[in-house]
This record gives sequence, C-alpha cells and structure tokens, in this order.
Amino acid sequence: MFAFTVARRYLFSNPSQTALLIFGVALGVTAFVFITALIQGLAIRLTDDVTASSAHVSLEPVTRVARVLESPDADTEAVALVSTFQRRQIRTWSSTVALLRNQASVSAISPQITGSAFLVKGEAVAPVSVTAVAPDGLDAISPVSTQIIDGDASLGADGILLGARLAQDLGLSAGQPVLFRTDRGVDRLLTVRGVFRSGVQSVDERVAYLSLQTARPLFLLPEGVTNIEIKLVNPAGARDVAAFVRDATGLRATPWQERNANLSGALAAQAQSGTLIQVFSLVSVLIGIASALSLSANRRSGEIGIMRAFGTSRRFIATVFILQGLIIGLAGATVGCLTGYGLCSWLATLTKPDGTMALPIAPGQGGYLTVLVLTTLGAVAASVIPARSAARLDPLEAIQQ
Amino acid sequence: MTRVLEARGICKTFRNGDELTEVLKYVDVSLDQGELAALLGVSGSGKSTLLSIIGLLLQPTSGTITIGGERVEGLSEVERTHFRNQRLGFIFQFHHLLPDFSATENVAFPAAAPAGGITAPMRRRARELLDRVGLSDRMDFPATRLSGGQKQRVAIARALMNRPALVLADEPTGSLDRVAAEQVLDLMREVNREDKATFLICTHDEKVAARCSRRITLIDGRVEGSPQAAA
Repeated sequence: MFAFTVARRYLFSNPSQTALLIFGVALGVTAFVFITALIQGLAIRLTDDVTASSAHVSLEPVTRVARVLESPDADTEAVALVSTFQRRQIRTWSSTVALLRNQASVSAISPQITGSAFLVKGEAVAPVSVTAVAPDGLDAISPVSTQIIDGDASLGADGILLGARLAQDLGLSAGQPVLFRTDRGVDRLLTVRGVFRSGVQSVDERVAYLSLQTARPLFLLPEGVTNIEIKLVNPAGARDVAAFVRDATGLRATPWQERNANLSGALAAQAQSGTLIQVFSLVSVLIGIASALSLSANRRSGEIGIMRAFGTSRRFIATVFILQGLIIGLAGATVGCLTGYGLCSWLATLTKPDGTMALPIAPGQGGYLTVLVLTTLGAVAASVIPARSAARLDPLEAIQQ
Repeated sequence: MTRVLEARGICKTFRNGDELTEVLKYVDVSLDQGELAALLGVSGSGKSTLLSIIGLLLQPTSGTITIGGERVEGLSEVERTHFRNQRLGFIFQFHHLLPDFSATENVAFPAAAPAGGITAPMRRRARELLDRVGLSDRMDFPATRLSGGQKQRVAIARALMNRPALVLADEPTGSLDRVAAEQVLDLMREVNREDKATFLICTHDEKVAARCSRRITLIDGRVEGSPQAAA
C-alpha cells in the first residue's frame, strides 16, 4: 500500500518529533493503565476484605406473609396467618446442597442454624449470635480454626467456640463450662472448646460457634436449617449464582453485593471517577495527535499541493494522514501498555513494614486490550480532521504558498 | 497536426466581497502536438490564471476547454484529478519534490499513487526519464541532496512520467541561477523536439520566450492580436 509507505516516510523524516509524539501517547496510556490497575486492585482488596469471612451468597427461606384467601361465599373471609411460633427453616436443605455441589462456580457450602442466645456465667450474662455448622464445615465460610488463640476448633457434642472479646467479658477460657440459653427458652450447659480472634470487633464480641447436632434441640429444629451459606470461586459472579439458585430452589438468595450495598456504591463511584480520569488522559492524548498531524499537514502543504496537482486523489492524501495517526496510536499504545505493566508490576512488589502491599494495585487488570483498541481507534479518529484539511487543500493555493 | 489544446472564450472573474475583477476576457488558445509555446505577459495580465484553468486547477467562469480531444471544463473534482494525473504534466517554479523520497521515487510518484505502489515497469520508466534528463548518477539520491537545477530536472522527469498530452510549466526557471536555467530550458526544448511533447510555458522572461517556437502574449486578460484584444 503506497499510502502506508508515504505515511511511514513522513513519520521517519523527523524521528525525534515522531518519538516525542509516541512518547506522549505512551505516557497517557501508562496513566490509563496505572489508574485502571489501581482502581481494580483497590476493588479486589476491598471485596476480599469484605467477603473473606462471610458468604458470597446466602440462602434463606422466603419471608412468609399473611394473605387473604379465596372465600367460598361473600359472608366468609379466610386469612392465612403466619405462625410466629414456628421457626422459619429450609427443610429441603440436603437436596439444595446436592444441587450446589454440582456447580463449578461454588467453592464451599455451609448449611447453618443461626439464632440468638445468651451465655450465662455466674452473674454475667452476654447476648450471642450463634452460628451452628457441620463440624467438618467450620472453615467453609470463615477460617475459624486458623483464628483459635485458646483451646482447639473441635466442636464435639457439647462444645462451643467463643469470640475472644466475648470470652474475656465472661471470664471464660477453653475447657470451662458455660450455661447456654436460647431465644426459645432452652438451657444447656456447654463446654468452651476454643476461643478465636477474627480481628473483627463485632464478631469477636458477639459470635459463638456450635455444631449442627448440638444446635438442633436448642433451637427446636430437628431436621431443617435456617440458612445455607455459599462461597464462590469468583465473588463477582454472586448475583448470577444467586439468581440461578433462586430460580432452581425458590429460596431467597442474597448476593454479598446486596448485603454490602454501601461498598458496592462506593466501588461504583470509584470506578466512575476512574473512568473520568481515563477519559481525560485519552482525550489529551488524542488532542496531541490531532495537533501534531495538523502541524505536519500545514508544514507539508506545498508537497500536498503538488501531489494534488499531478493527480493524486484526496482519498490518498487523507489516507496518508490517517495512517500516520494509526501508526502513532498503535505504537504509543503498545509502548504505554508495556510501560504501564512494568510500572504496575514494580509497584505491586513494594510492601509496607507489616508485609502488606504498599499500593493495592493489580498489574494484570490494567485494561490493556481496552486502552490499546481505544487509543488506536481514537488516534485514527483524531487524525481525521487534519487528514480532511490536508485532502481539501486547494492545490493552487498550496503551491503558491 | 493533432490539436492538443483548444480553449475557447475563456473568462475568469474573481469576486472579492462586492467587487468583481475580470482577469480573463474571452481568451482563445490552441496548441498542436509538439508545440513549445511561451505564455507571456506582465504581472497581473492573467497568464498564471489561464495556465491554472488549462491545468484544471481552477474552474473558468465561462468558456470551453478541449484537451486531447476531450471536453474538460464540466468534469467533476474526481474526474479532473484523474484527468490531471493521466493527461497533464506540471512543472512549477518551486519544484516541491517530496523530500523523503529518492529522485526515482519522486519521478514515479504520479503513476504510483493511483496504482498503490511503485511497480517494476514504473521504476524502469522513472529511471529512463532520469537518464533522459541527465541524472543517471543521481537516481537513488534523496531529493534533499540534489541541487536546485537537478531538482527542477527531476520535476521535468516527473511531469513526463505518465506520458501527458500537454506539459504546463509555470516560471520553470524562475528560481534557478542563469546556468541552471539554461540547462533546464535546453532540456525542455530537447524533450519537445525528440519526444514531440507539447509544452505551454508561462513566463515573463523574454529570454525564455525567445527559446520557444511560439509566443502567446496576454495583455490585461486578453490574447494580444485577437479580435477581443483589438476591441
């Protein structure tokens, strides 16, 4: 393609200016990659922090409401009441768990009984939020066994695990008995098997773990469970999985994003701010390309005029300038992506004194393909104006200049 | 003799706001194949305007133009571009060679641009032309390394690349020193004589006109000696 040869010669005729132009594009692209990797890294870190110790999807029975039934005659009104005594539960939890086990996106399943209770130790009484799990599924949602600071994580038949602050408030340690009183008025003496510290204050001062077997008589649930908690391979897919399970089981399925609406909103706002910065960096790059090519078209007006005079088409002239934009955009974007990846990879190795990353940056999430395509297409678009003005040069005027 | 150019009743009026300036007034010009004609006139006489109209770089206000047997005044922009490429050759006062290309590439350019590249026959033809204009030892030189006279000789070769029916030259020696100007004029005369190429050379230099086989003088927008001029 001869237009490509001409475009290439034009660019190489002033290597330092072309290099400067490509450097400018690369700088903008590097900024784009850095911002994208930083925002994505921050989102990943926040998401990990939020979801590390909680479920990605929670399944619960649907909320029952009283409703008016169809009446056999006009004088009778039938109403279906909701029993406040009967505890809401998932009776068919085994089949739901079996369904979930077949899903590749699901990494862990924890059928649970959750409820409220009091722990009584002498004169001290403390409200607790109880989570009862299968003994082999203690770590399915939160890595409790790794957080044990006293005793061990074996729940056993009468065992209970307490948060560190709760144990401290009640003066309890591993091996000691404690009276457990449920919100159903059932009392039982349990043994503290272990004390854990999660680092989350609300958990450490209120949460206690039991085995499902221990919890069933205490919460009057001989068969069912109150909820099923699910961990996913990819937390971002929680909405889709929740929708699937909701459709398949009729249970209420809540993805973690709904339970943390504030975080989702903050991440969305952060992404919007990032998009704004990305747009500005790209626009400045494109303005730079358009300006440089306009100057080039102006500087070469004599040549363009003579080319037009001896019958070179407007399309050919325009193509030469558009190809220059394409070459600059593609080269600048490629260099910028490589530089951006290098910079982000280096920043990812920097750590704070406690060993954590100095910047929550994700080098693999720099939006490389996006910025490559956007910059290249944008550069072509930016070259259209100088290309059109070059193609529309009046050959006579251009030659006379 | 084959008639190469037939321009009849060419008028050109420029508008500047409310002011109308008549530059050409019913100009008739004709050229036969192999003629080497000088288009003379003082500054402002309209000779460059007439050359631009014949070269399809400017539209006449009225009149008809036939080049190589084809009426051209009503052609579209795209058709005029194609016609210029195929049937006309241009030599300007300032050569405007493409500085990023060699002498051979500059000569081949008018054929290469529409074809999408320089083919072997194009390169061969360009080299023949460069040899013809005495630049066989400068064929692969970048345009920037050629002297003023050499550049103008490359421009002449470029004008001949597509075997045009008519070569239009606008002050072709205007930017050259005396020796280089003589060489360029000799070259045009030689190409005219040996190749039967038709030249219309716009100049205000009597010495250039004296080397041409025919003189066409424009006075105040009219051809000297024409009935319109007498009127």
